[in-house]
Amino acid sequence: MRPVLVIAGVELRRLQRDRSNYFFVLVLPLLLVLVIGAQFSDDSNGRVAVAGGESTLRENLVRALRADDVEVTVASPQTVREKVARGRADVGIIVSPQAARAFATQGDLEFTLIPGVRSDSPALLHRARSVLSRLTVQSGQLAALTDRGMSREAARSALADAAQSLRRPTLEVVDVDESAQEFSGLGQFDVGARGQTLLFVFVTALSGASALIRTRRLGVLSRTLTAPVSARQVFAGQALGRFAVATFQAVYIVLLTAVLFGADWGSPGPVLLVLLLFSAVAAGTSLLIGTVADSDTVASGLGIGLGLVLAALGGGMIPLELFGSTLRSVAHLTPHAWAYDALAQIRGHGAGVLDVLPELAVLAVMALALLSLGTWTLRRSTARGL
Amino acid sequence: MSDGQRSGEDDPARASEGAVLLVEGLVRRFGDLTAVDGVGLRIEAGQTYGLLGPNGAGKTTTISMIAGLLPADAGTISVLGRPMGPREVEVKHHIGLVPQDLAIYPELTARENLAFFGRLQGMRGRQLIERIDEVLDLIALSDRADDATKDYSGGMKRRLNIAVGLIHRPALLILDEPTVGVDPQSRNAILRSVEALSGEGMAVLYTTHYMEEAARLCDRIGIIDSGRIRAEGTRSELITLIGGVDTIRLTGAGPVEESAEALRLLEAVDKVGVEGRCLTLTVHDAPTTVAQVVTTAARTGLALDEVEIVRPDLESVFLHLTGKALRD
Repeated sequence: MRPVLVIAGVELRRLQRDRSNYFFVLVLPLLLVLVIGAQFSDDSNGRVAVAGGESTLRENLVRALRADDVEVTVASPQTVREKVARGRADVGIIVSPQAARAFATQGDLEFTLIPGVRSDSPALLHRARSVLSRLTVQSGQLAALTDRGMSREAARSALADAAQSLRRPTLEVVDVDESAQEFSGLGQFDVGARGQTLLFVFVTALSGASALIRTRRLGVLSRTLTAPVSARQVFAGQALGRFAVATFQAVYIVLLTAVLFGADWGSPGPVLLVLLLFSAVAAGTSLLIGTVADSDTVASGLGIGLGLVLAALGGGMIPLELFGSTLRSVAHLTPHAWAYDALAQIRGHGAGVLDVLPELAVLAVMALALLSLGTWTLRRSTARGL
Repeated sequence: MSDGQRSGEDDPARASEGAVLLVEGLVRRFGDLTAVDGVGLRIEAGQTYGLLGPNGAGKTTTISMIAGLLPADAGTISVLGRPMGPREVEVKHHIGLVPQDLAIYPELTARENLAFFGRLQGMRGRQLIERIDEVLDLIALSDRADDATKDYSGGMKRRLNIAVGLIHRPALLILDEPTVGVDPQSRNAILRSVEALSGEGMAVLYTTHYMEEAARLCDRIGIIDSGRIRAEGTRSELITLIGGVDTIRLTGAGPVEESAEALRLLEAVDKVGVEGRCLTLTVHDAPTTVAQVVTTAARTGLALDEVEIVRPDLESVFLHLTGKALRD
């Protein structure tokens, strides 16, 4: 076993020594998860930019919006207009000094509302209107009570008691769109992290194919066969090296997306099992390309091309949930789709190992077939090269 | 007949007695081509054996079989009395192969390359660290030990390539054309290292198509061509094979044909050839004959510009045995 680990270890070290890998293995996946996550709306009910000098009205407005899970930023009127125009805020509210004074004296309030261009901006505009309306009503109620002789504190307390005694209606929103149901409950980065993990595990493992070709062409592989190790150990070491690279990539993205972006992967045990089997499939494919390709340039191009096509087809770029039924069937020719389904079930439905057993079995068969074929072709090409 | 009564030729154990490497009747075919055809050789500790032949002669195929990379179609190989083949894992501990290719990882440092191959040989811990330092000193790479080898010069890579073969102190070191494409300085350093290793008792199998290297390094030389050992022996034994004939070349102005006639009459001269202003004489002992040759030529009126003595070398032997030059 020791020679196998020694050979696998040197493959990992070679990956580490190639500095161009730092960006593609460590930085790019996280960057893409971030960008894709930004396309999905977050948990807030939108973004409102509020302008206006410091006043009770502005404070109450900001507090009330935040209480409604609206993301609020306070800025100058010019900045608010810019934010809305550039899509950085969904609605802008400008509180003029006259409005602030009128709120304090129960006069007529006048606001400037700036709607954004996003599809949910009208809803957020409506929400902002109702918050403003609620504030003016509360202000009027307070004025009415103090006019009738109550102290401000007593009036506020009475209004708060009244608000608490109100029974708010319970609304249940039912979505009939299947895709929406599939994505229901997922965090902003969950889908992106899943897809990018599958994409990068495969592409990174396949980039190891060109390293294998260099190893063969330099004669290092033949030289290892002159050491007191069996051919089986040498080829197992090469396979294990590629498996270790793929697994490192998978674990790296899973851990970093969980820690940095709060991506929720579901139960760690089943997730790890899916990713280990998927990494084994990637390692087998890498071995195969590394022996059938003639040059490292061909292997590199083939690896990246195949990695991208399989990922596109298997849910690594566009979520499988958005595929039509025919395309989804075709997608299941790829290991990516099986791994995607398993990960989606683990995350979305809290599935355990038994629930995703069919997906695991398919991945295991694919891994076994590709590793056996890759090892066989490697043994054959090495013998031919002697 | 009991084991003790067998002759050395019949008993493999006795035949290999004292030999680090014993090869007998080695054959390897690739389809219709017989790349190695009945090769046999024997190397003892501290001996350097040169396999001298042109490209395609079967040198690399022979050493690939000895190193356990290729199975032989026929014949036997034993290292320190134990049979050797692709499946004989333990015997490989005693063999260090230095292939013609620079079989090292360019991304790794010299130290990391040595550590990798040392670990494959089962070395570890302090023993490995100390041996790496020793080997780096031997090939004069200690000061660049932690640099990636892709930044090394060709000569430095060649030296490291040799060091990898030495890391586990093998009893038999096989070097396959280790000086191909190397600058004269590195080449000299490599040859000195091989001499030193042989001096320390290591058995060395050295393949080359440079006769000067074979002449300098090797205690015994096997001349190989078309997969067969055509002749084997020490350098002087091989030269004796072609009768120890020397050549004297005379270049000058004057009656060339007349001089040739006069020279043919001398007892020490076997043959005289004429080509333009140049006379080529075949003689048995040039140093003692040359004075008589020059005097005779001068007497016929030939004004000599140049006199050259050419003594037989391994190139001549190879030419004599195979009818072609080593660098063909």
